Amino acid sequence: MLNADPMGETPHLLLVDDERSIREPLAQYLTKQGFRVTQTGDAEAARTRLTAYAIDLVILDIMMPGEDGLSLCRHIRETSETPVILLTARSEETDRIVGLEMGADDYVVKPFSPRELAARVKVILRRAAAGGARQHAPDSGSFAFAGWVLKSGERALVDREGVSVPLSTGEYNLLHALVTRPRQVLTRDQLLDLTQGREAAAFDRAIDNQVSRLRRKIEGDPKNPELIKTVWGGGYTLAAEVTRL
Amino acid sequence: MRRIRLWPSNFSGQMALLIAIALFVAQAINFTMLLQDRRAARYEQATGPAVARIVDAIERANAGHPIERNRGRLRQADVSPVRPTGEHRADVEQGLRTELAEAGLKVGKIETEVRDLRRGDPRLRRWNPAAADRAVRMGGELIIAVEQPGHGWLVLSAPWPRAEAYLIWRLLSQTLILYGIVLLPVLWIGRRLSQPLRSLAVAARNFVPGEVDVPVEERGPHDLRDVIAAFNALRLRVTAMLDEKDRMLGAIGHDLRTPLAALRVRIESVEDETDRAKMADTIEEMNRTLDDILSLARLGRPSEPLTEVDLAALVDAVVEDFRDLDNDVSFEETARLKMRLRPSLMRRAVRNLIENAVKYGKSAEVRIMADAHAVSIVVADQGPGIPPEQLGNVFEAFTRLETSRNKETGGIGLGLALARAIVRNAGGDITLENRPEGGLAATIMLPR
Repeated sequence: MLNADPMGETPHLLLVDDERSIREPLAQYLTKQGFRVTQTGDAEAARTRLTAYAIDLVILDIMMPGEDGLSLCRHIRETSETPVILLTARSEETDRIVGLEMGADDYVVKPFSPRELAARVKVILRRAAAGGARQHAPDSGSFAFAGWVLKSGERALVDREGVSVPLSTGEYNLLHALVTRPRQVLTRDQLLDLTQGREAAAFDRAIDNQVSRLRRKIEGDPKNPELIKTVWGGGYTLAAEVTRL
Repeated sequence: MRRIRLWPSNFSGQMALLIAIALFVAQAINFTMLLQDRRAARYEQATGPAVARIVDAIERANAGHPIERNRGRLRQADVSPVRPTGEHRADVEQGLRTELAEAGLKVGKIETEVRDLRRGDPRLRRWNPAAADRAVRMGGELIIAVEQPGHGWLVLSAPWPRAEAYLIWRLLSQTLILYGIVLLPVLWIGRRLSQPLRSLAVAARNFVPGEVDVPVEERGPHDLRDVIAAFNALRLRVTAMLDEKDRMLGAIGHDLRTPLAALRVRIESVEDETDRAKMADTIEEMNRTLDDILSLARLGRPSEPLTEVDLAALVDAVVEDFRDLDNDVSFEETARLKMRLRPSLMRRAVRNLIENAVKYGKSAEVRIMADAHAVSIVVADQGPGIPPEQLGNVFEAFTRLETSRNKETGGIGLGLALARAIVRNAGGDITLENRPEGGLAATIMLPR
């Protein structure tokens, strides 16, 4: 089932959730998808499993009695490079921001589609296998470029005067992909791939359309773009210095 | 034109005005009583000695000692010196007549006149100096003429106090002194009361539950301090209650989402693709409703800060999200529109309106109009509209127009109620109207 298996072995996931009604069917589903799944109901048990097994990725519920998921996430981040996906019951911004500040790689809001979760697990494992180094979480940090600041936590683009310019989901995903890879040429396929799994449905429309919309928002003269440049035969590139804030 | 306000609106003004009026009334009553006393005394003073002199003179005349003409204050005259146009004192005339009758003297007509008397008046030369001096101080002369049938007139002059003007001046100055002594402390006390009251009113008006701010300073007299302390305590209680509500809603959210999440995971094992998709949609819809309920309940205490936002870009972004999902939504791009608001909440309000339009009207046409004072975001659709008699209650949460709207799609009420609550929270309002060309137009109005 899984073709991006780095070591030729079945990836080993640790699923931590106190709710059996979610944990057990989810473990079943993920096993069917070709993962090896170890499940526990609390943070303490999770700690022992983490030392006992070579875990490739942790799926962690935030709200748990006793030690909560955020605290366990911090512990994992301090002791290893194992990627973490958080499960949260609230869609509020603060929860998401706090979770990502704790070093989680991604988050999923309950109720979630198990397919989407499996897709994200695959993306993160593939990135880990390909790059070695951990990717920053998709929604953490801020990026400054050419007078603009892209605030990932709030998904807002802020201009020189401090006025926030809201972006559609598609625009945000595209700009995020560009800003995290400045001066790299990204093909349309790559751009689609980079934003995949994250509200993929919102990305059905052509990349070109999103690019031209973004240009209208951030370029001084959208007809002669200086920031998002078209590369003939290739795709797009962000021609600006990006500073991570 | 503004009417001049005679009745002050604030506490210390009202108190000062009331006390001023009360003082004035009291002074006026005092003055009237004093004036009556004065008049009675003057009457006594003028008539008593006059009667004695007249009786004495008439008796002496009867005894064969006629009055010397034109000497002193009592004299004999052939004609009454009283001028018909002068100031007559009927009370004195009446009194004299009674008293002379009691003394057993028969007299003819009695006439009186009051004349002003100033220092240097030639008439004073006939008076003895002490009486003349007294008459000048009193300011007037009372002339009494008594007709002795067959013997001409007996004329008597007496000092007449002309002190009423002086009394009025005294009353006025007394009142002013009283005002000075009483009203200044009253105004001071009023300020001492009204300043803490005003800061209490400001604090109550600006009270945002949950926002941490300094308690109102306890100032002023003891009972006012009590009120302020009670308000501060009330504020803490309200905040605690809202905290409790938030915790409860969080718990409800968690407890409902968990079974939903479990269900969502389990339906993945349903073999039939169509069934599975329908189940997933239902769960998604339940989840959205839950989200709306929680947002509506939490709206009084938004966790999102006010931010400078380009409202045109905000609406554009929401429209774009709908278009990405292949909805027929049009938007006329508008120039940048800087506003201070809570972007996620406002996005939600706009999204809910467009969602309704797309759901019931198949398509949405979004426009932004701005002038110096207000911004309106109009979301128009091509749907059946809303029966006029129901336009008012669609805003009630959980209202759904079963008659004209498709009930298999979600409730119109909750989404609309949430949108309106968000917009009202931002100081604006939402209006709905049926368009003349068909369809519904929902307008968000925001003050700039």
